[in-house]
Amino acid sequence: MSEREATLLNRFTRIKRRRVHLAFALALGLIAVFLLDLSAGPAALGLGDIVRGLFDPGSLELRDRIILWDVRLPDALIALAVGAALGLAGVETQTILDNPLASPFTLGVSSAAVLGASVAIVLAPSIPAVPDHAILPALALLFALASGGFVLLVVRVSEGSRETVVLFGIALVFLCNALTAGFHMVAEAEAVQQIVFWTIGNLTKAGWAEVAMVFACVAVILPFSLRHVWLLTLLRGGEAHARSMGIDIARLRTMVILRSSVLAAFAVCFVGAIGFIGLVAPHLARLMFGEDHRLLVPGAALCGALVLSAASYLSKALVPGIIIPVGILTAVVGVPVLLLLLWRARRRA
Amino acid sequence: MTGRFSVSNLGARYGRAVVLHDVALPALRDGEMLGILGPNASGKSTLMRRLTGEMPGPGDILLDGRTQREHGREGWRRAVAAAPQTPPAPSALMPTELMWSTARALGLALSDAELAARIEGIFDELGLGAVALSPLATLSGGKRQLVGLALALVRNPTLLLLDEPTSALDLHWRLAVLDLVRRRLRAQGGLVVAALHDLDLAARYCDRLAVLHEGRVLAAGCPAEVLTPDLLARVYRVEAEVSADPEGRPVVRALRAIDPGKGD
Repeated sequence: MSEREATLLNRFTRIKRRRVHLAFALALGLIAVFLLDLSAGPAALGLGDIVRGLFDPGSLELRDRIILWDVRLPDALIALAVGAALGLAGVETQTILDNPLASPFTLGVSSAAVLGASVAIVLAPSIPAVPDHAILPALALLFALASGGFVLLVVRVSEGSRETVVLFGIALVFLCNALTAGFHMVAEAEAVQQIVFWTIGNLTKAGWAEVAMVFACVAVILPFSLRHVWLLTLLRGGEAHARSMGIDIARLRTMVILRSSVLAAFAVCFVGAIGFIGLVAPHLARLMFGEDHRLLVPGAALCGALVLSAASYLSKALVPGIIIPVGILTAVVGVPVLLLLLWRARRRA
Repeated sequence: MTGRFSVSNLGARYGRAVVLHDVALPALRDGEMLGILGPNASGKSTLMRRLTGEMPGPGDILLDGRTQREHGREGWRRAVAAAPQTPPAPSALMPTELMWSTARALGLALSDAELAARIEGIFDELGLGAVALSPLATLSGGKRQLVGLALALVRNPTLLLLDEPTSALDLHWRLAVLDLVRRRLRAQGGLVVAALHDLDLAARYCDRLAVLHEGRVLAAGCPAEVLTPDLLARVYRVEAEVSADPEGRPVVRALRAIDPGKGD
């Protein structure tokens, strides 16, 4: 059938099918990068050993089994979960604020998490019923959620005005950064180094419990996001139209910012403030899937997982024997990708 | 029952500023189109937002014997669709995707094939077939305004609200859009309320006109009654001649602006 004769439905379906194929390719790519990430590290464990060890742990020697199951798998899985959480939070935030530069981090969630981590590191408080090693992530999570709560309050008070929300988010970033700098002033040199290290972001401290928590967070929130895909797509047509259809945008905005804040808070509280994923993953997904949020929302989660998994691989593979904190790589990888995307978008316009 | 649609005692305010005072509109019978006229900031868009239900306020809006409240949010959404003045945003979204997501988000009970056929029919009438799968960002402002109209039409409303539907369109499409709206009224009935800038188009296409000035209705009725030199001087501050076309509809020829210093 020629392009002229094809009905709109046929042509539309063809585009959708191509995008679904792309999503499958992306998922396959993700599996490949994930295996690559698993195979990288100081111990010599080849791809073959990895795949064998995944399906039949007993076939590996005890040492290799421990390396695979207790060290590499949690690190690699938390890269997937955190990447997916940030990609998901980023795409929804960008759509709801109609701002391509928005991410959960521009709303202050990560700065608040860093502040929480600083409190934990510098003051080393003890909280009843929370084991010492969990205090840092617990405080980071608490502060991040609290900042999300403040943003939600502003959404409510401003009746959903997106300019006010963005402005308040940026103000929150400055406030948290200032308070964190205050902690730097009074902290011991070692503590400052620890704060800085946490701020950069690092996947290697994750265990199975952390992996489970971040995955659970994504698993709980994703269905709610998917329920809103039609509304989010419609919103890309502009607020005036959505309002004229009787859609409660303030409510939608509240739900999305709640979801994004929780996702971002869980994503960063264990691994540190890993930047750029929440910003870049949605743009990558948009290039592949367009603005139809049925694919864009899960696509951004896939892209986030892929980028962070790739950064995790590079962090181990780039300089043999040294693990570069992954946060450095996400920014180093993320900035050129972002520039490339912006350049392409300009050329297309 | 004399009319399917009527509006009385309608008010609206932004904060403390009252922008609509006791607005009453001429009752409409099936198949009729009402034009809302008025200079900038006279309250036309606010009136439209009251009618869509997105803005609360006092007053009675009656459609088919039931008030807006009695229809409920869902019922009103099913019966009433608006094309706001702002055209859809220039995103990477394709017109077809926007139409599709609108229909699905609002829960239109159509199969994929039915929905596609409806979208294709509307796009053909509005000359959007060639850009149905192009990003909105690549469309001209006029084309995007037509997409905005298509978004309202795809919902197949009883009451169609149009806020300056032709403001970004060239001469051909200005007429073609209003022809389409009239054709639709003739073929399937229903009601149209359109805020319009162009007095001649309003006189030509509308059965009833209402003129807003500073949030009040100054005149309402059939076009020949409403469009008089006196009213044009008062509301638009222009000196104008009003003649009649062969079918008796008024034709306005604005002569000059009345000196702002000497106006009322």
